[in-house]
This record gives sequence, C-alpha cells and structure tokens, in this order.
Amino acid sequence: MSKGERFTILEHPSDLGIEARGGTLATAFENAAAGMMSVILDTSTVVARETRPVEIYGSDREQMLVRWLSEVLYLYDGQRFAAAEFSLQELTPTHLRATIRGELLDAERHRTKVDVKAVTYHQLEVHDSGQRAFVRVFLDI
Amino acid sequence: MLRKVDQYRYLIPRSYKPGMRIEGMVYADEELIRQIEADQTMDQVANVATLPGLVGRSLAMPDAHQGYGFCIGGVAAADLDEGIVSAGGVGFDINCGVRLLASPVGIEDVRPKIEPLLNQLFRDIPCGTGRKGLLDISKVELDTVLRDGASWAVEHGYGHESDLARIEEYGRIRTADPSLVSPRAKERGHNQLGTLGSGNHFLEVEVVTEVYDEEVARQFGVCKDQVVILIHSGSRGLGHQVCTDYLEIMHDGMKKYGLSVVDRQLACVPITSREGDRYLKAMAAAANFAFANRQMMTHWVREAFQRVIGSSEVDVVYDVCHNIAKFEEHAVDGSKKMVLVHRKGATRAFPRNHPALPEELRSAGQPVLIPGSMGTASYILVGTELAMSETFGSSCHGAGRAMSRTQAKRETSADELLKQMKGKGIFVRGQSKAGLAEEKPDAYKDVNRVVDAVHGAGIARKVAKLVPVGVMKG
Repeated sequence: MSKGERFTILEHPSDLGIEARGGTLATAFENAAAGMMSVILDTSTVVARETRPVEIYGSDREQMLVRWLSEVLYLYDGQRFAAAEFSLQELTPTHLRATIRGELLDAERHRTKVDVKAVTYHQLEVHDSGQRAFVRVFLDI
Repeated sequence: MLRKVDQYRYLIPRSYKPGMRIEGMVYADEELIRQIEADQTMDQVANVATLPGLVGRSLAMPDAHQGYGFCIGGVAAADLDEGIVSAGGVGFDINCGVRLLASPVGIEDVRPKIEPLLNQLFRDIPCGTGRKGLLDISKVELDTVLRDGASWAVEHGYGHESDLARIEEYGRIRTADPSLVSPRAKERGHNQLGTLGSGNHFLEVEVVTEVYDEEVARQFGVCKDQVVILIHSGSRGLGHQVCTDYLEIMHDGMKKYGLSVVDRQLACVPITSREGDRYLKAMAAAANFAFANRQMMTHWVREAFQRVIGSSEVDVVYDVCHNIAKFEEHAVDGSKKMVLVHRKGATRAFPRNHPALPEELRSAGQPVLIPGSMGTASYILVGTELAMSETFGSSCHGAGRAMSRTQAKRETSADELLKQMKGKGIFVRGQSKAGLAEEKPDAYKDVNRVVDAVHGAGIARKVAKLVPVGVMKG
C-alpha cells in the first residue's frame, strides 16, 4: 500500500483480504468498509443520497472491526443498501457509532461484482500507534 | 515432520505442532502435496487436531487448500460426549453443495442449441450479487422452507416427489429449528431463495465423455454422450449470516466452557452445550434452505429444457452437501458409535448397502459429485467401504483453488477467457466480467489429478467423466 491509498486488496488462496490505514483507527475502519464495498460493486456508481446510523457494541477492537464490517455487509445483503461513504463519530474497544451514506441497490445502474459471504477473524490485525492506524481483515467470497 | 505412508497418504504426527491431540492425515499425490505445503493448509489441519474430543484423525482431502480456521477440504469427527462443534468447521456457506441432473438427450441434440439453452437458463435463474429471487416469500413461509427444505419446494410445484430420494438427507435435515435462525439471517435470505449466487457458484451443461464403471453408471442413470447439468450453489446470505451469528456466540461461549483455540476462527463449544445444540439446529435450517434453493433451480432447468430442447424429463442423479456437520455412525477404535462429522469442503461418500441411501441406490453406493473448475472436466464417483473405515465416509469436493482471485484477474482478462472457452467449444454466460476472470480454470488445481488421488487412495471410485459445453456464472 503506497502512502495516501486508503486500502489495498490482499491475496489469499481462496478469498481476499483488505488492508486499510488512516491517521486514526476510526479512519482505518472507514477505509476498510470502503475497501469491502469496492469488492462487491463499483462504488463510483453509488450516489450517497441516504444516511443510515449504525451503533455497535463488542468486547475488543478485533471484534468491533468484524462487527462493523458485518453490519455494512448486512445492510447490503439484507436491506439492499449500497454504502459508499462512512463516517465514524465514536470508536472505543467496546462501542462504535457511525453514519453510513449510500442508496438502495439498483441492479440496472450499479455495476455489481461479487458477493462477500462474510467477514472473518482469520489473520485479523488491528494496530493503532496514536499517530497511525492499520487494520487487516480477510473476507469469505 | 510429514511422513509419507504410501503413494496417496501423508501422516502429520502429533509432534508436528504442540497441542495436537490426534494425528493428521492428508490424502494427496506428490504434486498435490507440494501444492498443499505451499500455503497454510498443513498448519490448519494440525490446528484442528488441537480441538478437544475429536476421534480418529484430522483429515485433508486432495483438493485441500488454505481456509479460515479449518482448511477447505477438511474433515474432523467429534465424540458426542467429550467433543466440540465448530461453526467455522462447517463454514460460512452452510450446505454449499452440488446437484447433478441427467437429461434425456445426447450431445448431438444439445450442441446446436447450446446458446439459446444457456440464454434461457440465464433468464430463468437469477444469478450474481444483489439479484433478487423470483418470489418474495413471507417470514412465515420462510420458516416452513427452513423446516422442510426440498420438500417445501416440491409441495409448491418445484419438481417431483421422486426427486427427494436423490438428495442427501432426502433434502431435509429433521433437527432444523427455524426459530434459532436470527431475523438478520432471514432478512438476508428471504429474497435470495432460488438464486444461484456468485463467486465459485455455477450452473454447467455437460456431456458424459467417459464411463469407467458401466454398471454403477447405469444405476445412477448416466450413460456416455448423455447431456447432464451440474448446479453448484448454497444457502446464500441466510447461511452466511447463521455462521457469522454463531461464530460470535461460540466465541463468547468458549470462555464459559473454559475452552481456548489457537485461531479465533476455530471458535467452538461442547456438542452437549446449549450453544452447540442451538447452532446445530440453526445450521440444519440453513442447510434446508440450500436444499430448497437447488430444488427450485432444478425446476427451472426442466422448464428451460422443455422450452428449448422439447423435453422436461430431467432426473436428479444426486445432491450432496459440501459444508455441513452431521451426526453419523462410524467405527471408532473398533466399535461403532455416533459421532459429529464436520465436512468443510468435503463430500459424503457412503458405500453400497449403507442404510442412509435410498433403495434405488443401495446396490450401487452413493454418488459423489466432483465439479472441476470452469471449462475443465467434472467427475461422478461412488462412495467406498474404505472411505467408511478411514475418512468417516468422506471424499474430496472439487478441484481446490491454487491461485488467488487477484492473481487470476491480473493474468487473464474476462474477454481473453471467454475467447479461450469459445475455442474449446464452451459457451459462457456470466453476470460479472471480474467474477469470471477470478474463476478461470488454471486458478484451480488439476481436477483430473485430484480425482485420481481420491480413486488411487480408494476413498471413492471413478464412475464417469463430464466435460462442459455451456457455463453459467454469477
């Protein structure tokens, strides 16, 4: 991942991973969500016209990352809400509050790619030095 | 560390990794073991062997490759009193599986009509990410699907009563409890019933090019030059969410039961625990969703054949689960006992005379269906007594990926791939070009080699070879 890139897609023999970074852990979480949605569809075809609030509780940062991405995935697969913009208002190891912007899926207009089945704990990494944050997560395709 | 036992068996001794409670065994030839050693598969087989209460060995089939927690192509059986159940040991796509249909026509009747046939199938069977199913069922009706599986589909006009005997578990796991499937899982599933999906899911029209065992092929209803249809699909978002939900429940449950695992994705709870019991009943419900899903697609294949070929007399050869945990009776240390067999990317391979088989297949044995990668051969095999005594009645499930999705896309564009397929006489319809390139044939291991290793090891026996003429991808 070169400097300035929000996320990169990683190799995995069967599926794929996402590495995301940011100045804060919240930004890295936002970028990881953007990375996951870019696997599912061409997010440049999504208009951020609706807002969905999200609140998640967990027991550690790793679980928060999996639950956060699983929430974004559920909005897509369960509610057909294609998310394109992510903004975290609060992130602690046990609580996350965010707003997600996007629109309902339109099979004609949105260029879809492939289903993400789930977010895994496989080789999951969450790092935050205070100045820079980095997360890595693998997705089941 | 790894000990070669014979041409197709490699033993992983307990000394391979600290904490292994049982040995591991990998079924592979020299080339396949080299590929298996190139990723984390071996470590994952050893990690599974550290889980409490497993019996026999932690197994990997010749198509094994690195997964999450368990490897793909892994089999592990647990003692019902001392053992654990792991949601990751089944996988996210619960009852992802394969169904083989036998058409009444030969290749000479289908080849000239392959394009209109594929176009018809593509119109009738929704595929790809974000595509809704053709019916939007109520939550009450969805609970009936989760309880009754393929029987629900047949009762609602999708296929025939006689199809059910040709499905593993007769298309319905009776322990299913729809009330243990979360509202979220149901929300993800209710408009995906009757959809193929994307990724490695496909529908292929194939021709039988070789028959290795005439008698068994006859009993399966398959002969040379016949056109058959292979459907690879699973429990869609519903099953994925059930696994996601119960991984979290198991993760929290581990603390309660004093369990720890070397990889968080191996989260597990005792089979006897409330959490374990609830998972297995929710998993059974998701498995039933997948059975109903493949049953509905079978109906649409019949309609497409009627419209384009002029006959809907398409029979179900068999339908097998690839990702499942099942209560089965197996010989353990010389005596028969019930165990919980986790198959993660592996196929049940029961021999002739097994009571789980319907009367009509009793003298032949269970059909074992092995799809190859897009554009390569697929195989029909039959279960064996040796599989029963050595692998908890299990065999491989496919070719197994050898190349990452990103690498596959980098090496070949979708347009090049379509051209290559056309050159081989294979007509391809795909929903997503990116998805197509990720599934190119050489992104997978050589299916012929995988099947030869299974046959050579004796954990299933070759019956017939299939070659595709039409491919539909999500």
